[in-house]
Amino acid sequence: MRYLLVLALGLATSSVASAAERTLTVYTYDSFVSEWGPGPGIEAAFEARCGDCDLRFVALDGGVDILQRLRLEGEGSGADLVLGLDMNLMAEARQLGLLAPHRVDTAPLALPIDWNDDTFLPYDWGHFAFVYDSEQLEEPPGSFRELLEAPEEVQLILQDPRTSVTGQGLLLWIKHVYGDAALEVWAQLNERVLSVTNSWSQAYFSLFMNGEAPMVLSYATSPAYHMAVEETDRYQAAEFEEGHYLQVETAAMLADTPHPELARDFLTFMLTPDFQRHIPLGNVMNPAIELGDELPAVFDRLIDPESLTFTPEQVSENRRAWIREWLNASVR
Amino acid sequence: MAQRQRALSTPPRRPRWASLSRWPPSLGIAALTAVAGLGLGSLGALLWQARELHPAMLWQSPWLAAVLRFTLWQATLSTLLAVGLAVPVALALARRPRFPGRALLLRAMELSLVLPTLIGLFGLVAVHGRRGWAAPLWEWLLGSESGYLYGLSGIVLAHVFYNLPLSARLMLQALESAPAAHWRLAAQLGLTRRTLWRTLEWPRLAPLLPRLAALVFTLCFTSFAIVMTLGGGPRSSTLEVALYQALKFDHDLALAALLALTQLVICLSLWLLALSRGGAPSLVVGQVTLPLQGRWHRRDAVGASRLTDAVWLTALAALLLPPLLAVVAAGLTGLPDLPRSASLWPAAARSLVMALGAGLGALALAVALLTGSRWLAACGRRWAALLMEAGGQLILVIPALVLGTGLFLLLRPTLGSGWQGYALVVLVNAFMALPFAMQVVRGALPGLSAPEQRLAEQFGIRGRARLRWLVWPRLRRPLALALAYAMTLSLGDFSVIALFGSPSAPTLPMLLYQQLGGYRWQGAAATALLLMALVVLIFALLGWLTRRPPRYPFTRYPHEERHARVSRSDVSL
Repeated sequence: MRYLLVLALGLATSSVASAAERTLTVYTYDSFVSEWGPGPGIEAAFEARCGDCDLRFVALDGGVDILQRLRLEGEGSGADLVLGLDMNLMAEARQLGLLAPHRVDTAPLALPIDWNDDTFLPYDWGHFAFVYDSEQLEEPPGSFRELLEAPEEVQLILQDPRTSVTGQGLLLWIKHVYGDAALEVWAQLNERVLSVTNSWSQAYFSLFMNGEAPMVLSYATSPAYHMAVEETDRYQAAEFEEGHYLQVETAAMLADTPHPELARDFLTFMLTPDFQRHIPLGNVMNPAIELGDELPAVFDRLIDPESLTFTPEQVSENRRAWIREWLNASVR
Repeated sequence: MAQRQRALSTPPRRPRWASLSRWPPSLGIAALTAVAGLGLGSLGALLWQARELHPAMLWQSPWLAAVLRFTLWQATLSTLLAVGLAVPVALALARRPRFPGRALLLRAMELSLVLPTLIGLFGLVAVHGRRGWAAPLWEWLLGSESGYLYGLSGIVLAHVFYNLPLSARLMLQALESAPAAHWRLAAQLGLTRRTLWRTLEWPRLAPLLPRLAALVFTLCFTSFAIVMTLGGGPRSSTLEVALYQALKFDHDLALAALLALTQLVICLSLWLLALSRGGAPSLVVGQVTLPLQGRWHRRDAVGASRLTDAVWLTALAALLLPPLLAVVAAGLTGLPDLPRSASLWPAAARSLVMALGAGLGALALAVALLTGSRWLAACGRRWAALLMEAGGQLILVIPALVLGTGLFLLLRPTLGSGWQGYALVVLVNAFMALPFAMQVVRGALPGLSAPEQRLAEQFGIRGRARLRWLVWPRLRRPLALALAYAMTLSLGDFSVIALFGSPSAPTLPMLLYQQLGGYRWQGAAATALLLMALVVLIFALLGWLTRRPPRYPFTRYPHEERHARVSRSDVSL
């Protein structure tokens, strides 16, 4: 309720141009700001820290929508910060020329890869992975090779790379592992695909939780939620020896924000435990810094695979071609 | 006689429609302007932003052509099955005005339309999936695993699940609005099933069918999540997927606008065709619509029809109830956590208020467009009338994504946060519910029959009095049903509200998607349960409020008697 009041107040004050409070508007995606997501806790912590400011989240559908909104708004965007662009959207977001360097010390970062981007600052990360139902599948495949050779009943639920971030993750993952042979691999993989859904929610809840197939494309961190909140070990992620494609979610500030110091304060705050402690179970992702004892114990039981990445530029240059390749392999 | 008539009706010899004021056309035009402005304006904004357009892309890309073919094929098949099978179901329901569970079945029919796709799909998968409730039965019958949920059969099944109940419900409404005297006469004459079909049932359904088919076709043509999830891969895809990719990932506004235009042209030309086919409204003008209540003995209700009706109604229940039950069962497991969710009740209240706004808006627009169209038709401007009615369907055929992006481009400098966003959502929802509202109200709007008209003229009943005593009584039940449909559609809508971002607190469907995004599956199912309960409540409340005709000073005569008296005096004129 307090959260609602704060928001209502924020709305009321932001409509008055000369509000006494400094309002920081952050574009993000909607599961981040939900009641049980990390948003409310982070907002309270940041507002307690800055004193006279008001943090206001504007929730959009997903990372792609944040980018889309920036594009449409151009100069004079209503946002001071954007939070939720993943690595694969960075190149396109950078090209808009609307973002400013963060100038935050990246020493606290604890990512599986080195990070030296001066515009985008990571706040969490995770690997794409196939989550399996251990009641249907006792021995999950240990690699793509094994997956392709697995018996027929090992069926998969995937997401479409044209409409979902996880779907795009798999596209990049397979491209990274197989390169030019990706077309063949997709053709082989498609033999065991039960469904390619439009969104992760659809795949995970309408199909996977209904027991329709033993494996679903998701995140390596998904089992953490089941183990910590639902207290079941039934759903686990399969670790592939070829490595897993990495997703890093980042935030960035806009160049024309009227509150550049406050925006930088927020980015600095992002790499502190006060922000990061809400990430593991709130966003079900790995925190971007070492949380020590504050990291829920279930995170020690997650898989720890090797990370695969393309540079943001490679992704932005090739995305269309790779999607076309996937489409050709799938429609064939 | 003629002299007397002239003396009574002043001024004399006015054309039929001119006796009404000028407001039908002007209101109709205002509504049409609003709809077209919103729909075409947003599309126009996209086109303007896109600068150059290459229509050749459509047929040069073999993939797009294949998508278009598949979309047309699945939509046609779904429509034929959904509407075709709805006819015997509606007839059976009309023939059996009372059997245990009838009310429940009707409520369930109203539910399926507004179930968010994600939840509807969950229910369908729980029943028809590879490990669903029906799987053992299937295995026992065929000896092999059931795989019919994935592929064209699954898509069609889901579309029939969503659209057959809607079609049957609207047909039932049309059947029940047949004048009571007709049913009495049919009972007295002991008409057989076939004669009844020819003389009473078909004339009621025929004017409804083309529009209904066009509506269902549009819904199936633009269906997105169902086709992708159950299609089993990108082989079965819809135009909307291509559009989504173009608009979101590739930021190719030109291609997006082109795809939207393609969809617009296909669906709107279908609408125009449907409207011109089913143009003539039913000539049988209803008495005050009464539920049949089984007051008249129907000869066709005995014998073999007992069996066939039982089969149809069981089939309907088998199609409809298990998936809904699956959702309810899932929701019940999440129910204990429900009161602890702080945002749930505010979200429910917010959703209800917005739904009421959107519902009333849709109703007002529907009445304005229909009276305007009727007026134009009466003046002999048939095409203008058709266009006005087709205009009401415009928002439904413009993809929500295009609408949202276009509106955003149009309104950007002023599109603030907070209540403006909500107001816009209410507005767009009202437009989206418009085709449904029009579908329901339309049959009830033809106005008065010629004899009644003459009588009213003779007694000088016009203006407010005519509206109050002659028009309103026969409009209130359809209006209530239309309001219920429009409200629940808006209640379950997620697509529009997601477009503008949620600056503050969520609505009920948004909450549901947030819960899913945060793995709270059971909470989401409980939210869906609450959503369904609200839908049932709205339909039940509005149905209860209009359950019987209002009391008039002369209600000491039974209604059918009154009709008979009118007819007799009619003859004497």
